Amino acid sequence: MRTLQRYRIFLFTLPAILVIGAFFVYPILLSLRLSFTDFTGVGIANDVGWKNYERIFTRSRYLDALTTTVVFTIMVVVVQTALGLFFAALLHRLPAVRNLCRAALFTPAMMSFVIVGYVWQFIYSPFNGGLNSALAAIGLESLQHNWIGDPNTALIAVAFAHIWMFTGYTTAIFLAGYAAIPSDLEEASRLEGASSWQRFRHIEVPLLAPSFTINIMLSTIGTLKTFELPFIMTRGGPDGATRTLSLHIIDSLFGKYKFGFASALSIIMLILVVLVAYVQNRYLRSRENIT
Amino acid sequence: MKIKRRVGTWLLSAMALILVAFMLLPVVYMLLTSFKSGTEITQNPLGLPANLDFGNYINALSKMNYLRSVLNSIGITLSVTVLVSFIGALAAYPLARRTNRLARALVLLMALGLSTPNFVTITPIYVIFRDIGLLDTYTGLILAFTALNLPLAVFFYTSFIRSIPIELEEAARLDNCSDFRIFWHVIRPLLGPATATLSLFVMLMVWNDFTYPLLLLTDESKFTVMISVYRFVGNHNLSPNDLFPAAVLGSLPLLILFIFFQRRIVSGVTAGAVK
Amino acid sequence: MKRFSPTALSLLCAGAVLAAPVAQAVTLEVTAWKGNDAEPAALPELIEQFEAANPDIEIKFSYISRTDTDIVLPPRVQGDNPPDVMMTDMPLVKVWGDAGLLAPIDKGEWFDRLSPALQNTIDAGDAVHIMPLEVIGMGNFVNMGLLKQAGIDSVPTTIDALKDACGKLEAAGIDAMVFNGGFSAPLYAIANGLERAPDQAAALGTGDALFEESDAFITTLDTFPELEEAGCFDASLQAGLDPWSTALSEFKAGNFAMMPQGAWNIKSFMENEDLDFVFAPIPSGKETGVALDLFGIGWSIAAKSDQPEAAKRFVEFFTVNDNLHQMLVSESAYSPFTDGESGVSDVAAPYNASRDNGGTIMFPFSVLEWPKPLEMEIFDSMTGYLLDLDKDPADVLSRWDEIVEDQ
Repeated sequence: MRTLQRYRIFLFTLPAILVIGAFFVYPILLSLRLSFTDFTGVGIANDVGWKNYERIFTRSRYLDALTTTVVFTIMVVVVQTALGLFFAALLHRLPAVRNLCRAALFTPAMMSFVIVGYVWQFIYSPFNGGLNSALAAIGLESLQHNWIGDPNTALIAVAFAHIWMFTGYTTAIFLAGYAAIPSDLEEASRLEGASSWQRFRHIEVPLLAPSFTINIMLSTIGTLKTFELPFIMTRGGPDGATRTLSLHIIDSLFGKYKFGFASALSIIMLILVVLVAYVQNRYLRSRENIT
Repeated sequence: MKIKRRVGTWLLSAMALILVAFMLLPVVYMLLTSFKSGTEITQNPLGLPANLDFGNYINALSKMNYLRSVLNSIGITLSVTVLVSFIGALAAYPLARRTNRLARALVLLMALGLSTPNFVTITPIYVIFRDIGLLDTYTGLILAFTALNLPLAVFFYTSFIRSIPIELEEAARLDNCSDFRIFWHVIRPLLGPATATLSLFVMLMVWNDFTYPLLLLTDESKFTVMISVYRFVGNHNLSPNDLFPAAVLGSLPLLILFIFFQRRIVSGVTAGAVK
Repeated sequence: MKRFSPTALSLLCAGAVLAAPVAQAVTLEVTAWKGNDAEPAALPELIEQFEAANPDIEIKFSYISRTDTDIVLPPRVQGDNPPDVMMTDMPLVKVWGDAGLLAPIDKGEWFDRLSPALQNTIDAGDAVHIMPLEVIGMGNFVNMGLLKQAGIDSVPTTIDALKDACGKLEAAGIDAMVFNGGFSAPLYAIANGLERAPDQAAALGTGDALFEESDAFITTLDTFPELEEAGCFDASLQAGLDPWSTALSEFKAGNFAMMPQGAWNIKSFMENEDLDFVFAPIPSGKETGVALDLFGIGWSIAAKSDQPEAAKRFVEFFTVNDNLHQMLVSESAYSPFTDGESGVSDVAAPYNASRDNGGTIMFPFSVLEWPKPLEMEIFDSMTGYLLDLDKDPADVLSRWDEIVEDQ
């Protein structure tokens, strides 16, 4: 009876479980099955055994895509979290401009990827692009560059656009975290004469641990899965420099009609993302408990 | 001392505004460009438009089924937001408060949902909706978006509820309140900031997605605003003087909604603090 | 929550909709990646005319871009709930037709009027699954105004003339050519490679002949550094240029003298009245240059269509030359029918001349001679080559062979 009582609360999760079962678990199982076939998206699927997986692990291009994805994700997560924290800490201290700035920082995220991608493409363009024109206007012609046309800078340029788009997100989450910090705690430390930096370092950062968890996990998962900006801005180019794993999947699915192969890639990506999310979650959660 | 601090705050505010303005430069660039003619864009990429020409906008407006699609988008977006927050918060409560094996398994299930690439779910969702007759209905689209955003919501609320001190519940538990009553009367009122932030994410995703409306809707009168934008500009042979005005028109209602919404969130948070 | 429930919403919006027409008409669902405002292809007018001529049929038209056709339509055709008539191309016909999802189209009198190349292409399988709508040129856009400024009067159609023109343009301080790795350079490479080895297209596509051993293609790639030398372009600057946005606006604004691209841009370029341009063949070793024709769109009928009769009438409507002509004019395209009048405007006169005097080469992907995945690899490898023109052309081409081998 008591055990039943203990588990009754899980009835609350029932609607969510039903929805996630139907819309996520079932499709994943379907993909898993398709990953062992030569399905083209329509018609009959023939079993091909492990062939799709074999190809993934024997061709260097998929390993390259994995590296690209990981590098891209690390860049985005680190810079975006730092920038978001910076803005949130700043705005927390400035109630007068907080709402205005939060709304302004959020504006980029309100546009769809398509729009953001094209805006940045025009900014980065080597001919009359906004960035190069701006550099010329302030006398820095020497810094002009073919930003997304050069494989050495393309990934950074795309990552920058991605960070630009989502910094408002990160800031908003940190600000929500700030709102949850009891104000008396802050008041007390202020009365004790703690400087702004000391309060930030010793009170705010530890208490923001849950916000760190959400921010880092969401941006990691989101960025590992992303294909939108590379797809729009560079189509994975120049010559594969920005081809992420997801972009490979999109290309195989919709450019080449290799659903079976794309399913195998999706499964591998799913395993990767879940693994990363799991490790991160354990680590970040343990950090939360210390405080 | 006080004056010094006030000057400091003032300087800091100015710095924050400058930084934020710097972040907004690309948006300004887009706005300026949306008023320029095609030749002006390449010949004078950074300058102010020669004259405030609304021609691009009038052209875009006349060809998009604008008002109707904005109303559709608002209705769909708000419905999804409400549904997602409710189902998500409800599911998150036990996951945040229990640490047994079942809870951990369910957290993993949510993580799985969160990690699933979107394109994996397209075909199954279509087939399910066909079978239960939800194609080309608002309900179907709302359900699909709710499902897609649910893992995020559960994850978000779980983390937030964990930061709520458990002592608050214990008093209610001593009064023999049921779990649901505790959730509803103790936990739910505290979820304001989390709901506010989550709603933003959900609204953005729903507003800007056009794969699912395109897949699930065939009736033109049900189309969302992003489909209007997208039908107007296409995705080949893009010209900036079509794209940018349409983009501004597509995002503007969301921005207005957000500003209106933010007021309410902030007042909600303050009210909670006073209590 | 109730305030925003879907039913409430539809009530809210009901005022905005006019009362639906109460007709006994059958509804025919049609999808296409033309017919929006950017590329109307006269479809809105043609649909209206069709409905006027067929009062018992009502058309429900949806615009779905080419990319999204791959994403959105497979669930529908497989889910037994397809649109009745869909715009398709040969790669789609191959996948959907082979899977039995498209209805065979009767080879009516229209079939005999098609050009032989198209007949062979669409009749290769067990049945015909597509009714071709247009053939469109891919060639070299030339800004005559800029050429005149550099003292050039004639359109370059040979590689030597091209180099000569580039030199003069460079001397006059004019950017000579858009030559991006994502489209323009591949068009040049494919056109010239196939022009030098006219009978090899099919063999190269199946792997019976290898690109890396093909003198025709190696020679073609060897001309890249020569063109850069002659002042045509700065290869590394061009490599990653987006062919579908930046490049088009640059040419339209009159900042470049030449650009290999498709004739579907003619209409948009004509919006800039100051732009004095022609559409010419791709410069090649041959005197006439190369006219590279693309068979890009046609109608297909879904096997599971509820209205096969109405669908057939709709498709047949487009086989009438006068009807189709409206689309061809809007697209600046050629008729698939030998007796059909083309719709290209006067600016394409040089391309027409090349077509008449030197014949055409069909874009190998649009007639299934080359497998579709190769297309993307060509774009990638041309970008890589432009980034480093010291690479050995045979190595660049071996990447193409690898993809063909994978099929």
